[in-house]
Amino acid sequence: MSSALQRLSRSTIASAALLAVVWALATAYMQTGGSSRALLIGEMLSNFILVLGMQVFIGNTGVLSFGHMAFAQIAAYVTAIVAIPVAAKAKSLPDIPFGLGDVHLGPFGATIVAVLVTVLIGALFGVAVCRAGGLAPTMITLAALFIVEQVVKNWQELTRGAGGLTGIPIVQGNGWLWLGAFVALVVAHQFQETRIGRFAVATREDELAAPALGIRLFTSRYAAWVLSMAFIALGSSLRTQSLGNVNPKQFTLDAGILILVMLVVGGMRTVSGAVLGTVLITVGNELFRQLGDPQRWDIERFPDLFLGGVMLLVMVLRPGGILGDLDVAGWLRRRMYRRKEPTQVEPVAGDRTLSAEGIIVRFGGFTALDGAGLQVRPGEVVGLIGPNGAGKTTLFNVITGLVPETDGRVSLGDLELSDATPVQVARAGLARTFQNLRLFKNLSVRDNVALTSLVAARHRAHRVRPDVDQLLEAAGLLDFADRPADTLDYGNQRRLELARAVALAPEFLLLDEPTSGMSDAESQAMVQSVREMAATVGAGVLVIDHDLGFITRISDHIVVLAEGQVLAEGTPAEVRANPAVAAAYLGSQA
Amino acid sequence: MTKLLQTLVDGLGVGSTYALLALGISLIFGVMHLVNFAHGELITVGAYTSYFFFIHGGSWWWMPVAILASAALASVFTELVAFRWVRNASPFTLLLTSFAIERLSHALWQIFISPKQRTFRKPSWVFNQFSLGSVRFEVMDLVTIGVTGVTLVITAVVFKRTLFGVAVRGAAEDFDAARLMGVKANRVISGAFAFAGLLAGVAACLILMRTPAAEPAMGADWLLKAVIAAVIGGLGSFTGAVVGGLVLGLLETFTRAYLPDVADGWDRFSTAVVFILIAAFFVVRPDGVFKVSHAERV
Amino acid sequence: MLEVDQLTTRYGAITALHGVSLRVNAGEVVALVGPNGAGKTTLLNTVAGLLRPAEGAVRFNGADITGTEPATLVRRGLALVPEHRRIFKDLTVEENLRLGGATLSASQRRHKVHEMADVFPVLRAKWSTSAGFLSGGEAQQLAVARALMCDPKLLLLDEPTLGLAPTMVDVVFDLIARLRTKGLTMLVVEQNATRALHMADRGYVLRTGHVVADGAGAELAADSRLFESFIGGSAEESGAS
Repeated sequence: MSSALQRLSRSTIASAALLAVVWALATAYMQTGGSSRALLIGEMLSNFILVLGMQVFIGNTGVLSFGHMAFAQIAAYVTAIVAIPVAAKAKSLPDIPFGLGDVHLGPFGATIVAVLVTVLIGALFGVAVCRAGGLAPTMITLAALFIVEQVVKNWQELTRGAGGLTGIPIVQGNGWLWLGAFVALVVAHQFQETRIGRFAVATREDELAAPALGIRLFTSRYAAWVLSMAFIALGSSLRTQSLGNVNPKQFTLDAGILILVMLVVGGMRTVSGAVLGTVLITVGNELFRQLGDPQRWDIERFPDLFLGGVMLLVMVLRPGGILGDLDVAGWLRRRMYRRKEPTQVEPVAGDRTLSAEGIIVRFGGFTALDGAGLQVRPGEVVGLIGPNGAGKTTLFNVITGLVPETDGRVSLGDLELSDATPVQVARAGLARTFQNLRLFKNLSVRDNVALTSLVAARHRAHRVRPDVDQLLEAAGLLDFADRPADTLDYGNQRRLELARAVALAPEFLLLDEPTSGMSDAESQAMVQSVREMAATVGAGVLVIDHDLGFITRISDHIVVLAEGQVLAEGTPAEVRANPAVAAAYLGSQA
Repeated sequence: MTKLLQTLVDGLGVGSTYALLALGISLIFGVMHLVNFAHGELITVGAYTSYFFFIHGGSWWWMPVAILASAALASVFTELVAFRWVRNASPFTLLLTSFAIERLSHALWQIFISPKQRTFRKPSWVFNQFSLGSVRFEVMDLVTIGVTGVTLVITAVVFKRTLFGVAVRGAAEDFDAARLMGVKANRVISGAFAFAGLLAGVAACLILMRTPAAEPAMGADWLLKAVIAAVIGGLGSFTGAVVGGLVLGLLETFTRAYLPDVADGWDRFSTAVVFILIAAFFVVRPDGVFKVSHAERV
Repeated sequence: MLEVDQLTTRYGAITALHGVSLRVNAGEVVALVGPNGAGKTTLLNTVAGLLRPAEGAVRFNGADITGTEPATLVRRGLALVPEHRRIFKDLTVEENLRLGGATLSASQRRHKVHEMADVFPVLRAKWSTSAGFLSGGEAQQLAVARALMCDPKLLLLDEPTLGLAPTMVDVVFDLIARLRTKGLTMLVVEQNATRALHMADRGYVLRTGHVVADGAGAELAADSRLFESFIGGSAEESGAS
């Protein structure tokens, strides 16, 4: 496919551009002095690969990890053990188990083995990390750090404990590191272009909206984790072979924090940010190291002062990092973007009916839904209304799998959805919006829609799928396509959320208060928007709104909910004329 | 039986120190959703304070007061100069801010005192032994468990009985509702930091009596254990923090004491085993023992 | 007693209030009604100091209180019973009340807590229970009692009957009536618009952040603009406030 080639060339160009700048800086720096400078550049380049490794996971998924250094340590020790010549090993590690004493690999072989072993161990651990939510993943990575540290320090036969290993054949020059950095850059860029990488980013932006649009948290996070393990192993293995020794002090939490600061200061969300951060922190660290005056102060430990100060400043002033969401690759992507030829495809309405029957939901002693139910036929627009606290959103949450029902049944045609997860519901063809807007805020308007379009391409291929730009045009958002979603005004954010849901090519759209916060003129326009956009994919609509005017104009059929039960239903005219409905809204005098 | 009792006392000793620190971490998480990785620095502050007083002729009779005061002040100070400015930021930003403080603290001790360890006197009675039946204990074991017990009782009284305590608990549950009651946000947060500082001060006293030494990065290990303990208990839960601390302490000492019985040579990996268990626990119960729910509308 | 002048409040990109003006005189009960999302809660939260307005002013007893901390307002005698009650579920009933008296001296607070126990016998029965175990009606009474602890001159009530069983709705309306006879000034946001307006001296109808109608309570209840505000009138009508 040409677009895959395009993506690869884009990643390559962006990587080459970034690395060229770094290379120019490094060359200029080399002109000013001796060979110790090459060491510093070597250190920066290996940090570079480690930072990109963290970016791939932390930057894309937003899950903080302290444990990456644990896997760097594994890679470093594997490298050392297979690379140290047999004779030297017989001396330093006489009791080495598993017959490793007879193994001796060259630099290339050692690196490959280190990456393979680390990725294998990391992949096992990653299952635990990526399964949990909240702070647990971070704690699990912290535990990994302790586990590896203890094993390395105490498995004397294999590691010589705290003293570490020396005599690793040194690979001269920084050539391999430059190559490694380039490969890492291209892959990190490329990951953000792949489907799974973009899904990971979606989960970072909103842990709830992503599954509701058919994006599985675990899969994308796990992919990012495993890839990041490979980076970490590569960077660590190369570093070990340029230093010639390895010991546990190189992999403490502090060492990990240094790498983390590099990532966060530049801007963890983009590869360009990671590059900028690495260069800035490496340079600043070195400057502050030289600032120390051993005569006057007890030690040259100014780097900590620099690190702490920079991190504090960035967190207070620019928590997203210096670059935020700016990056070379993104700029290229926008520059190279060509709109596809618009195609006209006749939408086909689905043939399944969405139905919820006898839904009961209890939270503790509180009954939120008490036997409510409804049906939406293919292509039909059903309005769901009722006073505050009637259970409308709860019913939505039950249908979309966010809230488990105590009793009752949800189905789409023959398909049972009662116990389905949000991801399964979305992939089955129900797309929803949220009452308080859950856009992928830091992503561009186009990316918001394109993400669901990617899900549709994979899981909704049997349906007519709308073109992203046509959708944006229909929503009146094409002019803002490259802006971050959270810079739109409120009405446009609502329309964007609608377009994003439509891009899933759903059989039913579930809209939770699409006009809340809009003026009357805007909500009138929304009637048209919703109807048109639903029609482009042949979807039925279930819509909650507090604005009876909007609901009457848009709906074919209205269901009135009160106190968790269906109070009335019928055509808009019937419902308007029903005195019970007015009473439910305005209350009675009693 | 002797071994069992001895291990139990050891475990409670370490665990209670974890518990005091974890309680402070949980408290601060409750009021502002910050996982405070700078909390361990308060031990360092206490240590250098004692060092400073000892070179000027300090005595263990009044040293605990100085340690408590310095830890509380330092805790309030970090809130004032750093956390206040990111109060409404994401938990991620808050956490990284606390790392920045931790790093700055290390740097300042290194620059203005020394990167090397500074030692001072321990109380003479610390390692005196006494027997209870067939089991021999150190005086410090008793002191540790006693002091922690008293501190926890005082903490419970403060949080149940005083308006400050009720306000902190209320604010942890619903900050805006607490403000509507006339609770001042700055005051309750500063108060929580001060109280967490006092608890860390008590922990610092217990640590320093055994090992009277000050070092720039001495707080780091204690802190990590305490954070893990707080998360095991369920961040924001005070009971959870105490339970988490004690469980972690007991787990550590028991694996160290009993693992060699299971398989020879395994004692070397006791800490690793503890953390494998902890990792497994987080997979099963990501929200800790006492889950604290934060209402979020969808 | 309370004057709200051309108040505009925004949440990020959303403008929830567009220059709303209203007043509450001493001794009055004023009802604020309108559909979901009209900005009623935003108005109360802005008056109570939880939100900062973008434009406009709030005056309380003649003093400008725009953007003042809630703690200061409570001391001056302005209390809010927030939407969804927001009682502290992890605290006992007694602790909830004590926290309500956060601005009082210790002896005053003790005195007031005892007084509330007399006024709300339901609560006395559950004195040491965690508030999370209260029924909806009990919780609402606790929320009101908690706000009364600081002896407010003006009480803002946000949806006091939300989610309550019909008999409990009666209890809450009775409570409001009782407080009124004691001379407490109240601004009540209520979904049961008809009943609230019949009870109130005056009322305001809010829609999409604008006041679309106001007047004496009972008259407003019969006003066609009230139902229109719920079903959505035309753009011109609600634009002209």
